[in-house]
Amino acid sequence: MPISTEYVARETVSNLWRNRLMTIAAVLTVAVSLSLVGAALLLKQGAARAEAEWQRGTEVMVWMKPTATHAEETAVGTQLRGLSYLTGCRFYNQTYDWHEAKQLVGNVYVESGVTAKQTPASWRCTPLHPADANAVIKRFAGQAGVLKATAPLKQIRTEQHVINILQWVFLLVALVLLISAAVLILNTIRMAIFARRREVSVMKLVGATNWFIRLPFMSEGMVQGLLGSGVAAAVVYGLHVLLDRIGGGTSGSVLAQMRMTGWEVFVTDVVVVAIGVLIGTGGSALAISRFLDV
Amino acid sequence: MIRFQNVSKTYKNGTVALRDVSIEIDKGEFVFLVGASGSGKTSLIRLLLREELPDSGRIWEAGRDIVHLPKWRVPYLRRNIGCVFQDYRLLPNKTVFENVAFALEVIGRPKHVVATQVPQVLELVGLAKKRDNLPSELSGGEQQRVAVARAFVNRPLILLADEPTGNLDPNTSQGIMQLLDRINRTGTTVLVATHDEVLVNWMRRRVVELDHGTVIRDQARGVYGIEGSATSGPPSGRLPIVAAAGARLRARGQEPA
Repeated sequence: MPISTEYVARETVSNLWRNRLMTIAAVLTVAVSLSLVGAALLLKQGAARAEAEWQRGTEVMVWMKPTATHAEETAVGTQLRGLSYLTGCRFYNQTYDWHEAKQLVGNVYVESGVTAKQTPASWRCTPLHPADANAVIKRFAGQAGVLKATAPLKQIRTEQHVINILQWVFLLVALVLLISAAVLILNTIRMAIFARRREVSVMKLVGATNWFIRLPFMSEGMVQGLLGSGVAAAVVYGLHVLLDRIGGGTSGSVLAQMRMTGWEVFVTDVVVVAIGVLIGTGGSALAISRFLDV
Repeated sequence: MIRFQNVSKTYKNGTVALRDVSIEIDKGEFVFLVGASGSGKTSLIRLLLREELPDSGRIWEAGRDIVHLPKWRVPYLRRNIGCVFQDYRLLPNKTVFENVAFALEVIGRPKHVVATQVPQVLELVGLAKKRDNLPSELSGGEQQRVAVARAFVNRPLILLADEPTGNLDPNTSQGIMQLLDRINRTGTTVLVATHDEVLVNWMRRRVVELDHGTVIRDQARGVYGIEGSATSGPPSGRLPIVAAAGARLRARGQEPA
């Protein structure tokens, strides 16, 4: 038996309107809970982005002995360029490094009598993953003409650790919120359906098939989920704009580093709406099934 | 049309609802199911609606073995059975017309069928003028008429009524019975579970009496109690109001044809 869409649409609209208090309750529950879920997801992504941002600055450096020959320097350079996990390898000569050291350490460096001739030249590359720096260090240690290879590994590890924990915390918060949101939404829908169990029993009595009964309820749940998650999506977008505005002026701050692209926010919003629709529709189907078993 | 063969049913809490019940009801019959509360009348109706399954025995309804009917076929079985209850079970938010039309919409009848059949059946139950009223605006008797209209609108083979007059005064009850009688005359098999003594005695149809889940009497043109008690006047111990109502009915000579 085909179920007319007109029937489903009519029942959905009239039921939503008739039970408008319940509708509002369900929509608000979805909106509030999914806003929190979306915000947690957004923060998790922000943390991931900040990590990527921090790692971009890390370099691995191969310091050449001041006595190294030009051939040795070229050999190291060729090897570094041949490694697929390194990018942007550049050579900095002794004069450059001497000036840099002077800038970093200050006049003490000059006063100690170290000349440019005594300063090591360096190859500097950016690893695709900071962890790869370790391989470089091991590989070039003790090679002809190489003084030593270094990378700010410890610093990277600490950063990574903090970011990892942050990401997990945000993910966990998002999950807990999602579960409580699902329970809250399910409960609201169940209450709404419980109030109408009489109607369901009448439908069963006159020979309605289970799908015939289920469809209007599911479409109601879908509409509630859609409305609620729409509000939640707007809240997530608003949060993004707000964070952007606060962090926008101060580049280099954590907020600026966490800044996300419009695409990421869009994907988060899509996820939020999808969850809302899924919970609304599936929740209704689940809640109604207990009253169908007569 | 309906056949019970050695049907027994015990609920999970240990209550024995039916004990080895065998009944046969032919097409077009009008049968009263009588007995005290808890005698198994409602259980029997629930079995016929496939709301419950028997522990043993077989049940045929409209030519089908309904015990072994797959679950997904149950809605289709129910479309052949109209059902009326003591509490009317109308949808409070729908008008009289919508309540009756609902039974047709649910089984996917096209609009023009709804538009012609609902007014017909509302005419039959005498509620054509109240088609746009809500159930809350109707009297109990009128609400039960709507329920009868809903049960009958798709011309079921069988009409079941569980205490249809339980909430109604004697006069109104009589009207409902006349309505069921009229429906019976269209060829619909009617089974009425009741303990309304006056009505049973007045209608003089087949009576099946249950006691603690067992059929203790099956009598054509029967009465509620022991044979003869109705003709010899109200027996002692009967509620005065019921007796008075019965007397009033007889005095008016309102015997169903």
